[in-house]
Amino acid sequence: MTATTRAIHLGRQEKPKRGSLLLLIPGIASVVLLGVLPLFIVARNSFAVADDYGGITDGLTFENYAKLLDPVYSKTLLFSLGLGLLNTVVCLVIGYLTSYYIVSRPTNRQGFLLLLVIIPFWTDFLVRTFAWITILGSGGPIAGILGIFGIAGFSVIPSNLAVVLGLLYSFLPTAIFPIYASMRSIDPSLKEAATDLGASWWGVHRRVILPLSSPGILGAALLTFIPTMGVFVIPVLLGGGKDPLVGNLIVTLYTEFRNQPMGAAVSMVLLVLMLASMALVGLALKRSSTKRATTKKTEA
Amino acid sequence: MKKLIVASVGVVAALALSSCSGTGGDAGPSTELNVYAWADEIPQTVFDAFTEETGIAVNVDNFDSNETMISKLAAGNSGYDIVEPSQYAVQQLVGQELLEPLDKSKIEGIDNLAPKFADPSYDPGLQYSVPWVWGTTGLLYNAACTGGEEITSWTSLFDPKWKGKINMLDNMLAAYIAGLQVNGYGADSTDEAEIAKATESLIEQKPLLSGYNSTNYGELVASGDVCISEAWGGTSTAKIVEQNPDVHYVLPEEGGSLWVDGLSIAKGAPHQDAAYEFINFLLRPEIAAMATNDGGLASANAAAQEHVTDQGLLSNAAVYASDEQVANADFIVDPGKAMRFYQDGWTRVKAS
Repeated sequence: MTATTRAIHLGRQEKPKRGSLLLLIPGIASVVLLGVLPLFIVARNSFAVADDYGGITDGLTFENYAKLLDPVYSKTLLFSLGLGLLNTVVCLVIGYLTSYYIVSRPTNRQGFLLLLVIIPFWTDFLVRTFAWITILGSGGPIAGILGIFGIAGFSVIPSNLAVVLGLLYSFLPTAIFPIYASMRSIDPSLKEAATDLGASWWGVHRRVILPLSSPGILGAALLTFIPTMGVFVIPVLLGGGKDPLVGNLIVTLYTEFRNQPMGAAVSMVLLVLMLASMALVGLALKRSSTKRATTKKTEA
Repeated sequence: MKKLIVASVGVVAALALSSCSGTGGDAGPSTELNVYAWADEIPQTVFDAFTEETGIAVNVDNFDSNETMISKLAAGNSGYDIVEPSQYAVQQLVGQELLEPLDKSKIEGIDNLAPKFADPSYDPGLQYSVPWVWGTTGLLYNAACTGGEEITSWTSLFDPKWKGKINMLDNMLAAYIAGLQVNGYGADSTDEAEIAKATESLIEQKPLLSGYNSTNYGELVASGDVCISEAWGGTSTAKIVEQNPDVHYVLPEEGGSLWVDGLSIAKGAPHQDAAYEFINFLLRPEIAAMATNDGGLASANAAAQEHVTDQGLLSNAAVYASDEQVANADFIVDPGKAMRFYQDGWTRVKAS
């Protein structure tokens, strides 16, 4: 039982002490200085006017946002949204199945399996992406095996298939962990009961496990969808850079084009989209929890 | 909460102020020098030799693009003394007043520079920069992959014959070198109609491409995944040409382009005396030759050539392109107001 729940049980709320507030200062300061403040600068810059040398002149204009209505930008945005959604769905399906497998193993084995999921994180993201070039490229094992059967010159790189594989590989662990966490707290007897009452494999998942692990699934959806939108190395290295994502667009605007205001405007649009998706997930969570509460009440 | 924010802002302000006051004021000769340079373009051996001779400690930071370097300087209080911008970046830095004009009376050995760098278009009279290393943008191809066919022109990059086996550098200005020159225009064009024509060519070219890649294009050509690639000359390209007899680097008959990275003094540099000492040290022929001997790059210093240990590099086009080869090459300069035409065009190419 945690301190707060105990406090509630005792019928009074412990007042935070002055000392604990002091301990919060480093955390608050870093959030404000490294998170909130830069965000405000980006938001301000998105309404500014760029000068010829990549600097920012004071001024207030909505032109940066108006320019984004040009179909060339919306195409990139839609492509990124589509790829982000695809990656999220694939990650969730595979993440769900993997988590279910891990949860159904004996408890002492689960830690080891989770460790296997974490191990790739010990290597740098860029290095792992380069490894995929070797695996999928013409000199790699896949091409080698196909070569035995007389299919020469096979290479998945560069292609959008390679991008999808790279994204899946990168974000699968972040999908597995939240789903695993919420699945672990499901009482195994619920599953046994459902099976005893004649539910099929599919029925057990659809009516028992899937609804009960939905908070983890929604969390995983957020954790995969949002970062996918910002990815910019994978499309270049694995996809050949012909179909840029929003992340690539922002990098190009900030550096090559020396157009900070436009880059800031795209960043803000992306931020709003992400906040909107978070709000949607929040709403969905709230609805599912109230629904569960009401069903519990009616059962009682 | 409000008090907390005020307090934390106060702490940061105090820190910033104290770090400022630490840099100014001392009158004696500097004992350190802060250099911000391209990765591997000034070999470590050069810094070591400089420290050994002068006793000045050198702190080196690296950047991987001019844009990164410019934005860091533009942010202010970088603390750097020496920066190493490329030719068009010199123009941008001068435009933003981020460089100190060079006091020529403090510089010795500038006559050692090759004639083509003595009075370049991007920095007339070398008022802000001293050229250090240079290179070219051209074509890299794998003869095994092209079936022995020699590639000599940009037109090959636009030829449907090589569909799916062509790579372009993922860089706007680099892509437009090929796009403009293949149409017979100069790579430094600022004409809207010419740039629009180049954009059209690049859009038509896109379905033929394997991709846009400026990271590992050399490996792609060496492995044969790509037959022909637009390429930057320099260390990594020279290495790939050296290791693989099928891979060749050429300047296209349309001209190609020249780049040059030079030494400049950052505005408000805290150790200017040491910065001049460093520039003079790097102008010495035997030190300048280390850029080739230890860095694999072409030195802008003509007098350095006799100090190059591997004289073969002087005829390797990926390092020292000959004067005839670079005769038609254009310097890529800052397009200024025409930048807009390039950007609109490149956005369209990328979205097509």
